[in-house]
Amino acid sequence: MPTVRETIQDKEVGLIDVLDVILDKGVAIRGDLIISIAGVDLVYLDLRVLISSVETLIQAYEKNDREITSEQFDQERRAIEDATGNSGKWRD
Amino acid sequence: MEKKIYLYGFIPTEELERTALPEHEGFDEKEKLISIQVDSITAIVSRLDPDAYTEMVIEDKINNDLEWLQKKAYHHHEVLMFLNKNYTVVPLSFCTIYNNQDSLIETASSQAHELEDSFAEIGGKEEWNLKIYYDEEKVKRLVTENNPVMQKKREEIKELSPGRQFFERKKIDRMAEKEMDKELNERCNEIHLELSGLATRSDVKKTLGKDATGRKDNMSWNSVFLLQESEVDRFVEKVMKKDQQLNGSGLKMEATGPWPAYHFSNLSKAAK
Repeated sequence: MPTVRETIQDKEVGLIDVLDVILDKGVAIRGDLIISIAGVDLVYLDLRVLISSVETLIQAYEKNDREITSEQFDQERRAIEDATGNSGKWRD
Repeated sequence: MEKKIYLYGFIPTEELERTALPEHEGFDEKEKLISIQVDSITAIVSRLDPDAYTEMVIEDKINNDLEWLQKKAYHHHEVLMFLNKNYTVVPLSFCTIYNNQDSLIETASSQAHELEDSFAEIGGKEEWNLKIYYDEEKVKRLVTENNPVMQKKREEIKELSPGRQFFERKKIDRMAEKEMDKELNERCNEIHLELSGLATRSDVKKTLGKDATGRKDNMSWNSVFLLQESEVDRFVEKVMKKDQQLNGSGLKMEATGPWPAYHFSNLSKAAK
């Protein structure tokens, strides 16, 4: 039976755990190109909604494909108008 | 044109003599891991095509290509986990790149003493990370229930008009939030101090927001410990025990490790 320690060691770590560590302030020795790159702050990455797993990454892409267009919006609005008995109340 | 050098980390040369570096893919798929010896210190690197990996390209990829970031971050992580398992390693931050081999050798030579010190400090030790998460609703509810002042206030405002009640309730909510923060801070601090007793060094890091973690619960504590190998079992058992004790309190502890000593082999202080 694996020990508690082994169970933790073998557990897959999420991207955010990896980034939290590999972008740690610990820049031991500066490379020529490290400047702004490894200096990426996780707080800054927060703003771009970082993904914690491949699944969420895929979901995010799918969501982007479904951006609302004005045609879709009009279509959905007409459906709501019909359903509420206000057909033709607003123009497209 | 000379190739650029992606630097993963440094290991003591004598350790590499005992266990040879196996063949492994580099940061760019077409390249392999190689070692560059600088006296008693050996750099583990892979070469990069200078035109394909300009600062601008990498920065753009990091900012706009999450898939690339994920793939490369895991590659960096994987290589360092492997190195950490087999050698004493001073890991470098993601995307530490030198313009050419000479530039790397120059830096490594000038930092040789600090690197030797670092090897001595982290040798035979493991770096572990502990994050504490909390269920906001639950902790807030428990804090309110256990606070007689807030309970009394809640009773008192029942007599007021609905409008006043609304504003008074907002006030109580704010009070609950403050109390919750205080409670979380106290508890996490207490846990941190206790665990620090087992560690050679410990540090508290910035917490990460829900946007970053992608979790439903919030992070209230993010900390890192440097442990003697012989203390790791005790540390992990203590974390498990503490976590069990926290059951029902809305708090949850999660330890990960061993990590390459990114945090505790930080030489930047010495480099300045």
